[in-house]
Amino acid sequence: MQRESSAGYITRAPRSSGLADVLEILLDRGLVIDAYVRVSLVGIELLTVDLRVVIASVDTYLRFAEAVNRLDLRQVDDSRSVPDLFQQGGEEVASTKTKGAVEGGMDAIKEKIGLGGRDGDDDDDNEDDGSSRSRSRSRSGNR
Amino acid sequence: MSRLYLYGITRSREVPERLADQGIFLVEGEERAAVVSALDEGPVEATRRNLLAHADVVEQLHEEAVVLPARFGYMLESRDEALELIAMPEIEQLLDRHERTCELTLKGTYEESVLADVGAALAPLREQYRAEPSVDAGIALGEAVGEALAQRRARDQAQVLDELRPLVLEVLTSEATGEFAALNLALLVDREGVEAVETQLGRLSARMSPPLHFKLVGPLPPYSFVRLAMPAVA
Repeated sequence: MQRESSAGYITRAPRSSGLADVLEILLDRGLVIDAYVRVSLVGIELLTVDLRVVIASVDTYLRFAEAVNRLDLRQVDDSRSVPDLFQQGGEEVASTKTKGAVEGGMDAIKEKIGLGGRDGDDDDDNEDDGSSRSRSRSRSGNR
Repeated sequence: MSRLYLYGITRSREVPERLADQGIFLVEGEERAAVVSALDEGPVEATRRNLLAHADVVEQLHEEAVVLPARFGYMLESRDEALELIAMPEIEQLLDRHERTCELTLKGTYEESVLADVGAALAPLREQYRAEPSVDAGIALGEAVGEALAQRRARDQAQVLDELRPLVLEVLTSEATGEFAALNLALLVDREGVEAVETQLGRLSARMSPPLHFKLVGPLPPYSFVRLAMPAVA
Protein backbone atom coordinates (compact mmCIF):
# COMPACT_ATOMS: atom_id res chain seq x y z
CA MET A 1 0.00 0.00 0.00
CA GLN A 2 2.86 2.32 0.72
CA ARG A 3 4.35 4.18 -2.15
CA GLU A 4 7.82 5.14 -1.23
CA SER A 5 10.31 6.64 -3.56
CA SER A 6 13.75 8.02 -3.26
CA ALA A 7 14.91 10.85 -5.47
CA GLY A 8 18.44 11.93 -4.84
CA TYR A 9 18.75 12.55 -1.16
CA ILE A 10 15.06 12.76 -0.47
CA THR A 11 13.06 9.77 0.60
CA ARG A 12 9.40 10.42 0.12
CA ALA A 13 6.51 8.62 1.78
CA PRO A 14 2.91 9.74 1.61
CA ARG A 15 1.89 8.02 4.82
CA SER A 16 3.42 6.84 8.04
CA SER A 17 4.83 3.46 7.23
CA GLY A 18 6.97 2.27 10.09
CA LEU A 19 7.15 2.33 13.81
CA ALA A 20 9.66 5.15 13.77
CA ASP A 21 7.20 7.27 11.84
CA VAL A 22 4.32 6.81 14.23
CA LEU A 23 5.97 6.65 17.63
CA GLU A 24 6.59 10.33 17.97
CA ILE A 25 3.43 11.59 16.35
CA LEU A 26 1.12 9.29 18.26
CA LEU A 27 2.76 9.14 21.67
CA ASP A 28 4.15 12.65 21.98
CA ARG A 29 1.65 14.53 19.86
CA GLY A 30 -1.94 14.31 18.79
CA LEU A 31 -4.94 15.72 20.53
CA VAL A 32 -4.70 15.55 24.30
CA ILE A 33 -7.91 15.77 26.23
CA ASP A 34 -7.24 15.97 29.91
CA ALA A 35 -10.82 15.58 30.92
CA TYR A 36 -10.96 12.08 29.58
CA VAL A 37 -9.60 8.90 30.89
CA ARG A 38 -6.56 7.55 29.23
CA VAL A 39 -6.41 3.85 28.64
CA SER A 40 -3.79 2.25 30.75
CA LEU A 41 -1.12 1.55 28.26
CA VAL A 42 1.30 -1.28 28.09
CA GLY A 43 4.45 -1.25 26.09
CA ILE A 44 5.06 2.41 25.45
CA GLU A 45 8.18 2.60 27.46
CA LEU A 46 9.83 -0.21 25.61
CA LEU A 47 9.00 1.37 22.31
CA THR A 48 10.13 4.86 23.11
CA VAL A 49 13.45 4.04 24.70
CA ASP A 50 14.35 1.96 21.74
CA LEU A 51 14.18 5.01 19.54
CA ARG A 52 16.02 7.35 21.79
CA VAL A 53 19.69 7.05 21.31
CA VAL A 54 21.52 9.05 23.87
CA ILE A 55 24.46 10.59 22.18
CA ALA A 56 26.29 11.69 25.30
CA SER A 57 27.58 8.30 26.22
CA VAL A 58 31.16 7.26 26.65
CA ASP A 59 30.61 4.48 24.22
CA THR A 60 29.50 6.88 21.52
CA TYR A 61 32.41 9.20 22.13
CA LEU A 62 34.89 6.41 21.88
CA ARG A 63 33.41 5.25 18.62
CA PHE A 64 33.51 8.79 17.26
CA ALA A 65 37.14 9.03 18.29
CA GLU A 66 37.91 5.73 16.63
CA ALA A 67 36.15 6.75 13.45
CA VAL A 68 37.94 10.05 13.26
CA ASN A 69 41.23 8.43 14.09
CA ARG A 70 40.87 6.07 11.17
CA LEU A 71 40.75 8.96 8.79
CA ASP A 72 44.12 9.62 7.39
CA LEU A 73 44.06 13.34 7.31
CA ARG A 74 47.75 13.92 7.00
CA GLN A 75 47.46 14.89 3.39
CA VAL A 76 45.19 17.71 4.29
CA ASP A 77 46.49 20.94 5.65
CA ASP A 78 45.26 20.72 9.18
CA SER A 79 44.77 24.41 9.51
CA ARG A 80 41.65 24.24 7.42
CA SER A 81 38.54 24.78 9.39
CA VAL A 82 35.24 23.09 8.90
CA PRO A 83 33.57 25.99 7.07
CA ASP A 84 36.43 26.04 4.57
CA LEU A 85 35.99 22.41 3.82
CA PHE A 86 32.33 22.94 3.47
CA GLN A 87 32.75 25.51 0.74
CA GLN A 88 33.89 23.10 -1.87
CA GLY A 89 30.41 21.72 -2.20
CA GLY A 90 27.96 24.16 -0.73
CA GLU A 91 28.70 27.55 -2.16
CA GLU A 92 26.33 29.62 -0.16
CA VAL A 93 26.66 27.76 3.04
CA ALA A 94 29.79 29.08 4.59
CA SER A 95 29.05 32.70 4.29
CA THR A 96 31.32 33.87 7.06
CA LYS A 97 34.55 32.50 5.71
CA THR A 98 36.08 33.39 2.41
CA LYS A 99 39.35 31.53 2.39
CA GLY A 100 38.90 29.28 -0.57
CA ALA A 101 42.03 27.24 -0.92
CA VAL A 102 40.41 23.89 -0.53
CA GLU A 103 40.33 21.82 -3.65
CA GLY A 104 38.55 18.60 -3.10
CA GLY A 105 40.79 17.50 -0.27
CA MET A 106 38.03 15.91 1.69
CA ASP A 107 36.63 14.16 -1.31
CA ALA A 108 39.99 12.60 -1.99
CA ILE A 109 40.23 11.41 1.57
CA LYS A 110 36.76 10.05 1.66
CA GLU A 111 37.41 8.16 -1.50
CA LYS A 112 40.60 6.77 -0.12
CA ILE A 113 39.04 5.50 3.04
CA GLY A 114 35.91 4.42 1.30
CA LEU A 115 33.47 6.74 3.02
CA GLY A 116 32.59 8.90 0.06
CA GLY A 117 30.34 6.48 -1.70
CA ARG A 118 28.57 5.17 1.30
CA ASP A 119 24.88 5.58 0.91
CA GLY A 120 23.27 6.51 4.17
CA ASP A 121 20.20 4.53 3.49
CA ASP A 122 19.76 3.22 6.98
CA ASP A 123 17.05 5.66 7.77
CA ASP A 124 14.06 5.29 9.99
CA ASP A 125 12.45 2.47 8.16
CA ASN A 126 14.46 -0.35 9.49
CA GLU A 127 13.71 0.46 13.07
CA ASP A 128 12.31 -2.95 13.64
CA ASP A 129 15.61 -4.62 13.30
CA GLY A 130 17.28 -1.86 15.17
CA SER A 131 19.61 -4.31 16.78
CA SER A 132 21.45 -4.69 13.53
CA ARG A 133 22.81 -1.21 13.90
CA SER A 134 25.71 -0.99 16.21
CA ARG A 135 24.41 2.04 17.97
CA SER A 136 24.44 2.61 21.62
CA ARG A 137 21.03 2.66 23.09
CA SER A 138 20.09 3.87 26.45
CA ARG A 139 17.09 3.57 28.64
CA SER A 140 17.42 6.99 30.14
CA GLY A 141 15.96 8.97 27.29
CA ASN A 142 12.27 8.87 28.01
CA ARG A 143 10.40 11.49 29.83
CA MET B 1 -22.72 -0.07 26.19
CA SER B 2 -19.16 -0.71 25.44
CA ARG B 3 -16.37 1.72 25.87
CA LEU B 4 -14.92 3.44 22.86
CA TYR B 5 -11.40 3.88 21.62
CA LEU B 6 -10.85 7.36 20.20
CA TYR B 7 -8.91 7.87 16.97
CA GLY B 8 -9.75 11.46 16.32
CA ILE B 9 -12.39 14.04 15.58
CA THR B 10 -13.66 14.87 12.13
CA ARG B 11 -16.26 16.77 10.18
CA SER B 12 -16.70 13.82 7.88
CA ARG B 13 -20.12 12.20 7.88
CA GLU B 14 -18.91 8.76 6.95
CA VAL B 15 -15.96 6.48 7.25
CA PRO B 16 -14.49 4.80 4.17
CA GLU B 17 -15.68 1.27 3.66
CA ARG B 18 -12.29 -0.21 4.34
CA LEU B 19 -12.30 1.33 7.81
CA ALA B 20 -15.93 0.51 8.46
CA ASP B 21 -15.08 -3.11 7.75
CA GLN B 22 -12.56 -2.92 10.56
CA GLY B 23 -15.15 -1.74 13.05
CA ILE B 24 -14.40 1.96 12.86
CA PHE B 25 -17.46 4.15 13.15
CA LEU B 26 -18.56 7.68 13.95
CA VAL B 27 -20.35 9.06 16.96
CA GLU B 28 -21.99 12.02 15.31
CA GLY B 29 -22.88 15.33 16.79
CA GLU B 30 -24.42 18.14 14.85
CA GLU B 31 -21.43 19.17 12.84
CA ARG B 32 -18.62 16.95 13.94
CA ALA B 33 -18.02 13.38 14.87
CA ALA B 34 -15.72 11.31 17.02
CA VAL B 35 -13.97 8.53 15.15
CA VAL B 36 -14.08 5.46 17.36
CA SER B 37 -14.21 1.72 17.63
CA ALA B 38 -15.65 -0.47 20.36
CA LEU B 39 -13.13 -1.30 23.01
CA ASP B 40 -13.00 -4.49 24.99
CA GLU B 41 -11.52 -4.59 28.40
CA GLY B 42 -8.21 -2.73 28.40
CA PRO B 43 -5.40 -2.15 28.52
CA VAL B 44 -4.63 -1.12 25.00
CA GLU B 45 -1.18 -2.20 24.15
CA ALA B 46 1.15 0.23 22.47
CA THR B 47 2.31 -2.35 20.03
CA ARG B 48 3.57 -1.70 16.57
CA ARG B 49 0.36 -3.11 15.18
CA ASN B 50 -1.92 -0.94 17.30
CA LEU B 51 0.05 2.23 16.67
CA LEU B 52 0.09 1.67 12.95
CA ALA B 53 -3.62 0.87 12.98
CA HIS B 54 -4.37 4.15 14.74
CA ALA B 55 -2.25 6.07 12.25
CA ASP B 56 -3.89 4.24 9.38
CA VAL B 57 -7.38 5.28 10.48
CA VAL B 58 -6.66 8.97 10.91
CA GLU B 59 -4.45 9.15 7.85
CA GLN B 60 -7.00 7.48 5.63
CA LEU B 61 -9.74 9.79 6.87
CA HIS B 62 -7.50 12.77 6.40
CA GLU B 63 -7.30 12.07 2.70
CA GLU B 64 -10.91 13.13 2.34
CA ALA B 65 -11.72 15.29 5.31
CA VAL B 66 -10.40 17.36 8.15
CA VAL B 67 -9.32 15.19 11.07
CA LEU B 68 -7.88 16.08 14.44
CA PRO B 69 -5.86 13.00 15.35
CA ALA B 70 -6.06 11.97 18.99
CA ARG B 71 -2.98 10.92 20.85
CA PHE B 72 -2.69 7.18 21.10
CA GLY B 73 -4.53 5.56 23.95
CA TYR B 74 -7.70 7.53 24.69
CA MET B 75 -10.83 5.75 25.62
CA LEU B 76 -14.28 7.13 26.16
CA GLU B 77 -16.69 5.58 28.61
CA SER B 78 -19.76 6.04 26.46
CA ARG B 79 -21.35 7.68 23.45
CA ASP B 80 -22.38 10.54 25.67
CA GLU B 81 -18.82 11.19 26.62
CA ALA B 82 -17.89 11.27 22.93
CA LEU B 83 -20.67 13.76 22.23
CA GLU B 84 -19.55 15.91 25.11
CA LEU B 85 -16.01 15.90 23.79
CA ILE B 86 -16.86 16.95 20.27
CA ALA B 87 -19.12 19.72 21.56
CA MET B 88 -16.18 21.55 23.10
CA PRO B 89 -15.71 24.98 21.50
CA GLU B 90 -11.94 24.46 21.40
CA ILE B 91 -12.51 21.48 19.14
CA GLU B 92 -14.48 23.60 16.73
CA GLN B 93 -11.69 26.18 16.67
CA LEU B 94 -9.13 23.52 15.86
CA LEU B 95 -11.29 22.05 13.11
CA ASP B 96 -11.63 25.50 11.59
CA ARG B 97 -7.93 26.09 11.76
CA HIS B 98 -7.08 22.81 10.09
CA GLU B 99 -9.77 22.86 7.44
CA ARG B 100 -7.16 22.99 4.67
CA THR B 101 -3.92 22.04 6.37
CA CYS B 102 -1.74 19.00 6.53
CA GLU B 103 1.44 18.04 8.27
CA LEU B 104 4.73 17.00 6.75
CA THR B 105 7.36 15.44 8.94
CA LEU B 106 10.90 16.03 7.85
CA LYS B 107 13.88 14.19 9.19
CA GLY B 108 17.44 14.71 8.08
CA THR B 109 20.33 12.32 8.56
CA TYR B 110 24.02 12.72 7.88
CA GLU B 111 26.17 10.15 6.24
CA GLU B 112 28.83 8.71 8.45
CA SER B 113 31.32 10.67 6.37
CA VAL B 114 30.25 13.75 8.27
CA LEU B 115 32.78 12.58 10.84
CA ALA B 116 35.57 13.16 8.36
CA ASP B 117 34.37 16.67 7.93
CA VAL B 118 34.05 17.63 11.54
CA GLY B 119 37.16 15.64 12.45
CA ALA B 120 39.31 17.60 10.04
CA ALA B 121 39.28 20.61 12.33
CA LEU B 122 40.31 18.65 15.41
CA ALA B 123 43.94 17.95 14.59
CA PRO B 124 45.45 18.42 18.05
CA LEU B 125 43.03 16.06 19.75
CA ARG B 126 43.40 13.57 16.95
CA GLU B 127 47.16 13.65 17.25
CA GLN B 128 46.90 13.17 20.96
CA TYR B 129 44.68 10.16 20.56
CA ARG B 130 46.88 8.69 17.87
CA ALA B 131 49.96 9.09 20.00
CA GLU B 132 48.34 7.62 23.04
CA PRO B 133 45.05 5.87 22.38
CA SER B 134 43.82 5.92 25.95
CA VAL B 135 40.19 6.02 27.02
CA ASP B 136 40.60 9.57 28.27
CA ALA B 137 42.10 10.81 25.04
CA GLY B 138 39.36 8.98 23.17
CA ILE B 139 36.62 10.58 25.20
CA ALA B 140 38.19 14.00 24.76
CA LEU B 141 38.32 13.54 21.00
CA GLY B 142 34.88 11.96 20.85
CA GLU B 143 33.35 14.76 22.87
CA ALA B 144 34.87 17.32 20.54
CA VAL B 145 33.46 15.42 17.58
CA GLY B 146 30.06 15.33 19.25
CA GLU B 147 30.18 19.03 19.87
CA ALA B 148 31.22 19.79 16.32
CA LEU B 149 28.34 17.63 15.12
CA ALA B 150 25.94 19.55 17.32
CA GLN B 151 27.13 22.80 15.79
CA ARG B 152 26.76 21.34 12.35
CA ARG B 153 23.21 20.29 13.20
CA ALA B 154 22.31 23.73 14.49
CA ARG B 155 23.70 25.38 11.39
CA ASP B 156 22.01 23.00 8.96
CA GLN B 157 18.71 23.15 10.76
CA ALA B 158 18.76 26.93 10.63
CA GLN B 159 19.44 26.79 6.93
CA VAL B 160 16.63 24.34 6.24
CA LEU B 161 14.23 26.41 8.30
CA ASP B 162 15.23 29.58 6.48
CA GLU B 163 14.51 27.99 3.15
CA LEU B 164 11.23 26.39 4.08
CA ARG B 165 9.69 29.01 6.32
CA PRO B 166 8.08 31.02 3.52
CA LEU B 167 6.26 27.87 2.41
CA VAL B 168 4.86 26.67 5.72
CA LEU B 169 2.24 27.90 8.15
CA GLU B 170 3.94 26.65 11.27
CA VAL B 171 6.97 24.63 12.32
CA LEU B 172 7.59 22.40 15.28
CA THR B 173 11.24 21.70 15.90
CA SER B 174 12.12 18.61 17.90
CA GLU B 175 15.34 17.09 19.03
CA ALA B 176 16.95 14.97 16.39
CA THR B 177 17.67 11.60 17.96
CA GLY B 178 20.31 9.29 16.65
CA GLU B 179 24.03 9.70 16.25
CA PHE B 180 23.82 10.94 12.70
CA ALA B 181 20.43 12.56 12.91
CA ALA B 182 20.53 16.12 11.69
CA LEU B 183 17.06 17.48 12.12
CA ASN B 184 13.53 16.57 13.07
CA LEU B 185 10.79 18.94 11.99
CA ALA B 186 7.03 18.92 11.73
CA LEU B 187 5.74 21.34 9.13
CA LEU B 188 2.17 22.55 8.94
CA VAL B 189 1.36 23.42 5.35
CA ASP B 190 -1.64 24.11 3.21
CA ARG B 191 -2.83 20.97 1.46
CA GLU B 192 -2.01 22.68 -1.79
CA GLY B 193 1.47 23.58 -0.62
CA VAL B 194 3.02 20.14 -0.29
CA GLU B 195 4.60 20.13 -3.71
CA ALA B 196 6.27 23.48 -3.17
CA VAL B 197 7.94 22.19 -0.02
CA GLU B 198 9.10 19.10 -1.85
CA THR B 199 10.56 21.13 -4.70
CA GLN B 200 12.34 23.51 -2.38
CA LEU B 201 13.75 20.63 -0.41
CA GLY B 202 15.07 19.07 -3.60
CA ARG B 203 16.89 22.27 -4.47
CA LEU B 204 18.28 22.58 -1.00
CA SER B 205 19.40 18.97 -0.89
CA ALA B 206 21.30 19.35 -4.14
CA ARG B 207 23.29 22.21 -2.65
CA MET B 208 24.23 20.64 0.64
CA SER B 209 27.60 19.05 0.99
CA PRO B 210 28.30 16.69 2.52
CA PRO B 211 24.83 15.45 1.71
CA LEU B 212 21.99 15.39 4.14
CA HIS B 213 19.49 12.63 3.58
CA PHE B 214 15.96 13.90 3.97
CA LYS B 215 12.92 11.85 4.72
CA LEU B 216 9.68 13.65 4.06
CA VAL B 217 6.45 11.99 5.13
CA GLY B 218 3.01 13.32 4.37
CA PRO B 219 0.53 14.83 3.75
CA LEU B 220 -0.50 13.69 7.23
CA PRO B 221 -3.20 14.87 9.57
CA PRO B 222 -1.90 17.69 11.77
CA TYR B 223 -0.59 15.48 14.55
CA SER B 224 1.79 18.09 15.91
CA PHE B 225 -0.52 21.07 15.72
CA VAL B 226 -3.63 20.11 17.64
CA ARG B 227 -2.80 21.36 21.06
CA LEU B 228 -5.93 22.52 22.81
CA ALA B 229 -5.78 26.01 24.20
CA MET B 230 -6.47 24.64 27.65
CA PRO B 231 -4.12 24.34 30.58
CA ALA B 232 -2.72 20.86 30.64
CA VAL B 233 -3.26 18.83 33.76
CA ALA B 234 -0.92 15.96 34.31
